[in-house]
Amino acid sequence: MTTAPALRIIGLRKTVHVGFRRRAVEILKGVDFQVAPGAVFGLLGPNGAGKTTTVKVALGLMRPTSGSVDLGVEGLAHVGYLPENPYFYDYLSGREFLGFCARLFTLDADVRQARVEGLLGDVGLEAAADTHLRKYSKGMLQRIGIAQALVNDPELVLLDEPMTGLDPVGRVEVKRIIESLHERGKTVLFNSHILSDVHELCSRIAIMREGRVVWQGTVPEALADSPTLEDFFMKVVTA
Amino acid sequence: MNQLFAIAVNTFKETIRDRILAVIVVFALLMIVAGLWLGSISLGEQGRMMKDFGLVAVTAFGLIVAVFVAAGLVHKEVEKRTVYVLFSKPVSRVAFISGKFVGLCATMAVVLAGMGLFLFALVWVVDGQPSGTVLLAVVMVYVQLLAIMAVTIFFSTLGSAILASVLGICVFVAGQLSQNVLALTRLGKNPVTEALSWVIYVIVPNLSAVDVKAGVVGEQTLAWGQIGLWTAYLLAYVVVVLALAALVFRRKEF
Amino acid sequence: MFRRAVAVVVVLACAAGVVAYQATRPGRAAADPHVFVPSPKFFLDFSPSFRTSIADAYYLNMVQYYGEHLKSGRLESMPAMADLVTALSPHFIRPYSFGAFALTDAGRPDLSVNLLEKGFAANPDDYAFPAYLGYFSYQYGTGSKQENDAAGSRWYQRAAAIPGSPAYLLRLAAVLAGKGGEEEKAIVMWGQVYAGGDKYSRQKAVDGLDRILPKDKAARMKAVAPLQSTMSEKDFEALIAELFQGYGQ
Repeated sequence: MTTAPALRIIGLRKTVHVGFRRRAVEILKGVDFQVAPGAVFGLLGPNGAGKTTTVKVALGLMRPTSGSVDLGVEGLAHVGYLPENPYFYDYLSGREFLGFCARLFTLDADVRQARVEGLLGDVGLEAAADTHLRKYSKGMLQRIGIAQALVNDPELVLLDEPMTGLDPVGRVEVKRIIESLHERGKTVLFNSHILSDVHELCSRIAIMREGRVVWQGTVPEALADSPTLEDFFMKVVTA
Repeated sequence: MNQLFAIAVNTFKETIRDRILAVIVVFALLMIVAGLWLGSISLGEQGRMMKDFGLVAVTAFGLIVAVFVAAGLVHKEVEKRTVYVLFSKPVSRVAFISGKFVGLCATMAVVLAGMGLFLFALVWVVDGQPSGTVLLAVVMVYVQLLAIMAVTIFFSTLGSAILASVLGICVFVAGQLSQNVLALTRLGKNPVTEALSWVIYVIVPNLSAVDVKAGVVGEQTLAWGQIGLWTAYLLAYVVVVLALAALVFRRKEF
Repeated sequence: MFRRAVAVVVVLACAAGVVAYQATRPGRAAADPHVFVPSPKFFLDFSPSFRTSIADAYYLNMVQYYGEHLKSGRLESMPAMADLVTALSPHFIRPYSFGAFALTDAGRPDLSVNLLEKGFAANPDDYAFPAYLGYFSYQYGTGSKQENDAAGSRWYQRAAAIPGSPAYLLRLAAVLAGKGGEEEKAIVMWGQVYAGGDKYSRQKAVDGLDRILPKDKAARMKAVAPLQSTMSEKDFEALIAELFQGYGQ
């Protein structure tokens, strides 16, 4: 018996209307892919390919013009999301912010408390827990962002450029977090431009270009075609 | 409910820590004290001048704070993209709008309580006796501002923060002239303009139906039944406007 | 270094210019006794609290205007100001009294009376209005002195009838009634003062009656006889004792 995918996107189209004259711009032109439960899935593509828009539609932040999105997990209560270049409430401390995020789920107070303290430890921010977010460095903001994405112990985690702004130590820590999520059977989808990280972490990838998925498969399948993942990526997006 | 409360507390923390708020409140307190000076040139009417101009200052500055903070509440979340953090979680748009409003209500309560108690103390010193009606007037200003905050939040879901704040102030002024709009409906010979005037009259909150300030300075007798009914009307108005705001916000994409 | 010196010199020159400009402005022109006062009709459609705030602002304006123009006696805009303030805030008492006296200074005691009558119509429970009207009647009335005194007495009597009014109003009414040729009325009023008053008022009542009653004992007795039905027996006997002290049996 095959298990249902954690995320299935079928024929997704998205048109937005921009400017004073409401000019129609088609951002997604029929995106199809699915993510198996427990997989670490990489969504790649050049800037403007539609990766972030795809994730936003999957989360309900945008409505599809046509097509469907099927979240295999039971709703947003089981999803975690880290946006690209995250901005959070800078007047809150790290602990207050995670506490606020935890309150948005139906968790008991003691579970919330334990989760917040645990996550602060996991992302290495115990020392800065009571500092206001406005004083956090970019790397610290990225880490608190990952922590807020995990506060509800989600089944599906969507990370948009999770390595941005991190120093090598930070990147290792985030990779460790993604690996541990995978070991716990969580499904992870992340966008990234750092192909070495994709190579290291992902079991399956999809490459988008101009609003479509132009290739999807496993990393070994990609490497069978080209010596490195970068070469394969360039070949696909410039074809 | 948990979500509404969490968003409300977060909004309260956001708005109450805003330094602009403190500046406006200090300025309002200075205006109230200026009422003392006006009283000194009033030939013995210090008490009345203090109450009248003090309440004008409380209303004016309360309005500025209410409108400008309310206009920025939703807009800031969208602009700073903290909406991604919120709506990637199972947070309803209704809980968001309601939570924002409740948080702002708490902030405004603190601001108006501060200004109101200061005015109450000044009036006590000047008049030699406490005036409970001054506090009642401040409470009624607060109720009026609830309606204006709701309207401003509604406008902010439609357009920019600046437009929302300008429209919020316009609605406040229109609300003070509500009776004039009603008179207009009865003057028109054209049934279309009459109907339109009637629609505007219903849509604009009636902020002048009961005048507690006039009662405070002795120009009108305060009728508790009327005050109660007016308060209930404004609270119902708030519920309707927030529902409309939530409806508009549900269609919004980020 | 040179550029900095030039910048400093320029800024200092500008600062000197600012000070010099202000210092050389001509003095304030003599205030115009004719000021624009909007009609109350303009504001009557606005909300009551807006009206009271406008009234208060114009009241303060009225006080300043009076102070500025009192010496010159040019108070042409005072009637309009008083009319505006009292129209917008009819229960604001002070503008009526202040306005009435200011209008008298402006040479228009007739307008003072109109203003006070307007105030009394809006505030019928305030004894101050008929009391002021009593004063203006006997002080600035247009009839003969006797007529003015009689008119004043009638106003004071109305004032005295309002609950909470001070005792001296009835005494004033009685005095003016006597001077106004209405001795019978005056006698009755003095009787009321005696009956309702303390030791001081009673003394005043006796003095007042003594001034207007005939010296002849029989005529005096006849004149005070009507008081018997308006006072208690105890008060009447006490009053008679004082009025006829020294008259023998």
